[in-house]
Amino acid sequence: MEEYINGYIRPRLQGDGGEITFVKQEGDEVTVLLQGECSKCLILDRCLSWIEQRAEADRGEKIKVIGIRKKPYFQDV
Amino acid sequence: MAHIKVTRRSMRPEEWISLRFGWLKRYIYSEKHEISSFKIKDARQISEMNFEFYDGGEFRPLNKGDMYFTPDGTAFIEADYELPEHLEGKKYCFLLKTAAEMIVKVNGVYVGGIDPNRERLDLSPYVEGRNLHFEIMGYNRSKPDDERNPESLSVRGCRQIFEGGYIAVVNEAVQSLVYDLEMLLDAALSEVFNEDFSALVIREIDSALNLIDFDDVRDDDIRAASEYIDKNIFSNKDYKGSGRVALIAHSHLDIAYYWRRIHAVQKNLRTVLIQLRLMDKYPDFRYAHTQAYTYETVEKYYPEIFEELKKKIAEGRFEPVGAMYVEPDCNIPSCESLIRQCLYGQSYFREKFGITVNNCWLPDVFGNSWILPQILRKSGVDYFVSNKMSTWNDTNRFPHNNFIWRGIDGTDVYACVPPTHFISWNMPSQIQENWDAYQDKNEGGQTMQMFGYGDGGSGATEEMIELMHRFEKLSVMPETEHITAKEFLSKNFDGNEALSVWDGELYLEMHRGTFTTKSKLKEYNRKLEFMLRDAELISTMRMIEGEDYPAEKLRNIYKKLMINQFHDILPGSHITPVYRDAMADYEEMEKELSEIIGNSGEYYNTLNFTRSNLTFIPDENGDIVRNGEKGFFAVPDIEGLSNGEIIREEAEPDWIMIDGLKAETPFYSIEFAPDGSIISLKDKELCREWVKGDFNKLKMYHDTPGNYDAWDILPDYKDRPCEMKLEKELEFVSVGGECAEFAACFATEKSKWKMIIRLFRRSKGIEIEHVVDWNEKHKLVKAEYGCNVLSRELVCDTSAGKITRETHRNTSWQQARFEVCHHKWCDMAEQGGGVALINSGKYGVSAEGSVMALSLLRSTIRPDPTSDMGEHDFCYMIYPHAGDAVAAKINEKAFEYNIPLRKADIEAALPDFSPLWLQAVKLSENGRYAVIRLCEQNGERGEIELPVEATVLNLIEDEIGMTDKISYSPYEIITLGVEI
Repeated sequence: MEEYINGYIRPRLQGDGGEITFVKQEGDEVTVLLQGECSKCLILDRCLSWIEQRAEADRGEKIKVIGIRKKPYFQDV
Repeated sequence: MAHIKVTRRSMRPEEWISLRFGWLKRYIYSEKHEISSFKIKDARQISEMNFEFYDGGEFRPLNKGDMYFTPDGTAFIEADYELPEHLEGKKYCFLLKTAAEMIVKVNGVYVGGIDPNRERLDLSPYVEGRNLHFEIMGYNRSKPDDERNPESLSVRGCRQIFEGGYIAVVNEAVQSLVYDLEMLLDAALSEVFNEDFSALVIREIDSALNLIDFDDVRDDDIRAASEYIDKNIFSNKDYKGSGRVALIAHSHLDIAYYWRRIHAVQKNLRTVLIQLRLMDKYPDFRYAHTQAYTYETVEKYYPEIFEELKKKIAEGRFEPVGAMYVEPDCNIPSCESLIRQCLYGQSYFREKFGITVNNCWLPDVFGNSWILPQILRKSGVDYFVSNKMSTWNDTNRFPHNNFIWRGIDGTDVYACVPPTHFISWNMPSQIQENWDAYQDKNEGGQTMQMFGYGDGGSGATEEMIELMHRFEKLSVMPETEHITAKEFLSKNFDGNEALSVWDGELYLEMHRGTFTTKSKLKEYNRKLEFMLRDAELISTMRMIEGEDYPAEKLRNIYKKLMINQFHDILPGSHITPVYRDAMADYEEMEKELSEIIGNSGEYYNTLNFTRSNLTFIPDENGDIVRNGEKGFFAVPDIEGLSNGEIIREEAEPDWIMIDGLKAETPFYSIEFAPDGSIISLKDKELCREWVKGDFNKLKMYHDTPGNYDAWDILPDYKDRPCEMKLEKELEFVSVGGECAEFAACFATEKSKWKMIIRLFRRSKGIEIEHVVDWNEKHKLVKAEYGCNVLSRELVCDTSAGKITRETHRNTSWQQARFEVCHHKWCDMAEQGGGVALINSGKYGVSAEGSVMALSLLRSTIRPDPTSDMGEHDFCYMIYPHAGDAVAAKINEKAFEYNIPLRKADIEAALPDFSPLWLQAVKLSENGRYAVIRLCEQNGERGEIELPVEATVLNLIEDEIGMTDKISYSPYEIITLGVEI
C-alpha cells in the first residue's frame, strides 16, 4: 500500500500541485499526509474517496483513507 | 454612558439591488433543454497528445450530480443530442457550468471553449441540422486559471460534480440589461468615481429595477428598465471623466506552472479558440497573443484551427505579440539565450505569417536584465512591454509607465510598464484605477490596459467585450479605445521626445528568491548554454572541413532550452512534475550535445583566448574527486580555438606547508577557523590581508516569505539566523602536485553538509565545493565573504558586460536591492585589488558594505513541497586579485571556469577576434553564412581588422551591410556572416 500511495497516487496529486505521503496502515485504515494544494483543499474528502475507489479497482483492496493535512505555515490558521 | 454601535438591520439600497440583480440573472436563458446522453472516460495526460486511460478507457454514463474528473485528470466526454424542432434555424447555445477547461467540438467542428470564466458557447453559427454529436476534452486541476476570479476559486478541487449540460436560448434583452448593470454597479460601488455619480447610479438602478415584476418577469418590463437606464443614467453627461486608456485584449499563458508543459498545448488551443469565436461574434474585437512556441503547438496538433488563426492574423485581428519564442525569465538566461529567444521567435513569425513582431511582450517576468535593449533593437524590436515593476515592487514605486529604456550599451528602446496588472476583466473601476496610477499622463499619451483572464490562458470573455461597447455611454469614465498592441505602441511612442529615460536594469523589487530556488535547474541551464555554444562552434568548424552541420538537431535542442527558460520553469516557481520534466529535458539535451561534440581526439580550446588558468581535467586516473568525477588539475596552455595536449605535471607536494589550521602556499598565508571559514588570507604577492569579518562562512537563515515561497526572500531574513552544527572540524585531507584539499562537515537534524576547500600551487583561486544532502524546510544558506576592501560597489557579470550595484543602504532603492542576480562572477574591489567570486551556476548574491554573500540553497514548499530536497554538489572559486575585475581578467577566468576543454580534432581555423568575446559561431538559419557573434564585455572601445570582408548581420540574421573592419564600442554585440 505504501508503494501504491507513494508510487501511483502521489504523481497524480503532485500533478495538481498537491502532495501525499503514506504514513501508516492499520487494518483497512490507511493514513496519509497531505501537503501543498491538497492541504487546503475544500473538497478533499472527494479526492480521498477517489483514492479508495482506485485502490479497490487496481488492487482489489477495500480501504478507508484518513488524511492528515499539513498546511503551509503561511496558511495554517 | 456606554456607546453601542448601531448596526443597520434593514436592507440598504445596494443590497436590495444586488438581490434583484441575482434574480434577474435567472432569466438570462429563455429556454434550457438538458442533454441527458453524456458519457465520459477518465484519463491522465502523459505527453502533448497522448493519454493514459483509467479502467480500460471505457465510457461510462455521466449524469447530473455525478462526480467527474480525477487528480491531474483529463476527461473525454461525448453526447448525442437531437435538437428540438423549433430551434432549428434559431440562435441557440451550449451551456455547461464547470470548474474544468473544456474544448468543445460539435459535429466535428471546434465550436469553442468553456471554463470557469465562461459557461456557454454559441452553437447555431457552427452547426447544421438537428443531430448534434458532442466531443469534449476537459482538463481540471486544483488551481484554476486565474486566482483573481472569485468564481474560479470557489470551485477549485480535483473532483467536481457534474452540473449538467444544456442547449439553451439566450434572452438577449435580459442579457443586455445584465451587462448594463454589471458595468454600472462596478462603477457605482468601486469608490474610484465621483460619489455623487455613484449615488445617482444606485438611485436610478433602483428605480429601473422597480419596473420589473420579479414574480412574473416579462420582456416588456425588461425593455422598460433598459430604456429607463438609457434615459436617466447613460444620457446624463453631467459627470465628466478624464484620461485616455487603450484597451488591449490579452491572455497570459504560463507554459508551465501549476500544470506541465504538456497541458499548455490544450490550454493554449482553448484560449486561441475562444478568442477566434469572439472575433466571429464581434467584428471590432482584436486580441494579442504571445510566444511563437504556442503557435507552433497549434500548427502541429490542430492544423484546422491554425489555418483559421492565420486568416485572422492576416486580417490584423489576431495579433502575434512578443518577438520571443517563449516568455523567458530575463534574469538568469545568458545573452545568447535571449538572442535565440528572439531569433527563433521572429523566424517563426516571419515564416508562418510573414511578419516581424516589433515588440517584446513580457507582462509577468521577474525583472529585466540591462542587456535587453540592445538585444531587442538588433532583433527588429522597437518596444518593450512588461507589467511587474509597476504592480509588484515591494519598496519603491517605479517612476514611469511609458518611457525610454536605455540599455547597458546605451541602446534605447521604447518601454511600457502598464500601471496595473496584466490580468483584468475590463471593469470601469479597473480602467479608472489604471488612469489614476498612470505616471506619464502629460508626456506618455494613452495608458495601456490589458484585459482578459490569464496565467493559464482563457482570455477575454463576451462580457468584457459587451462592457467595452458600453463604455462610451458612461461619461464618468476615461476615454477608452480598443486597439492592437502595435497601434498603441506606434501611436504613443513613435517620435515622442517628451518621454523620460530610465538608464539601468529593470530590477523587480520582489521574487528575489528565484535567483536561487531549484538550484539544479540553474546549474544545468548554465552548463547547457555553454555546451550549446561549443556544439555549434565545433559543428561549424567541422562544416568548414566538409562535414554536415546538424542544423535541425541543434535548433531543436536550443528550442528545448528556450522552453525551459520560461519564467515559471527556470526560476523554480512551479509544481513537482514541472521540475521532473525540466530535468528530463536537460539530461536528454546533455546526451544529445555530447554526441554532437564527440569525445575523441585532442583537447580543443573553444575559447577565443589562451587557457592559462588551472583547469580541472576529468580523468579516471586522476587523484581528485570533484563534482563526483575523478580528474586532476592542470594548466592547459592551449591557444584559443586550437587543439593541444594536457601535460599533467608531477610536482612534489612540498609547495604547501600545513600546520594545523594554518597553511602556506606560494600565494597565501592562510589561517582557517575550525568551521572552514578563513580568519586570515594574507596575499604574499600584494602584501595585504583580504579578510575582514566572516569570510567563507556558511550562514543559514530561516526563510519564510509567505505565500510566494519559491519566489521571495524577505529583507529581514538576516534577523533570524539558525545554527548549522559543525560536526567535523576542518582538517587537511590530501595534497598532490597541484592541489591541497581540506574539509569540514556540518549537520542539522535532517541535513548533512560537507565543505571542501582547495588550495592550489599554480592558481590564486581558492575553490570551494559543497556536497550536501539537503532535507530542510524554510531555510536559506549563504556563504559570506567579508572583504578587506573599501568598496561601495559590487560589480556583477550580466553575461554581456558588467553592472555595478551600490552596496550601501542610503536610499530605499539600494535597500530594496538586498539580493540581486549576477551571472558568472561578482567582484568587490578598491584601487589596488579586490575579491571575485566565480561560480558555475549560482545567480543570487547580496552585498552590504564590503561583505558579499553568495546564495547557495533554499528549501521552499510552494508551489513544490519537494523543492531542492536531496543531494547537491556544486563548486565556486574565490579569486583575490590585483587591480579591478577588468584588469584582473576575471571575466576570462570565469569563462575558463565554466567552459571545459572539449575533445575534438579541429583543423579549421578562425581568427580569435581578441579582445572581444566570441559568443557564438553557428550556421545561419538560411544556411548561407557561418555566423560569428562577438560581444564586448569590459566596457572598452576599439577596432579589429578582419582577414576577409564579412557581412554585418543583425541578431535575427538580416543582412545590414559589408565590412572588413570592426569598430566596437562598450558592451556592443556584433554579428558577422562569412559566406560559406
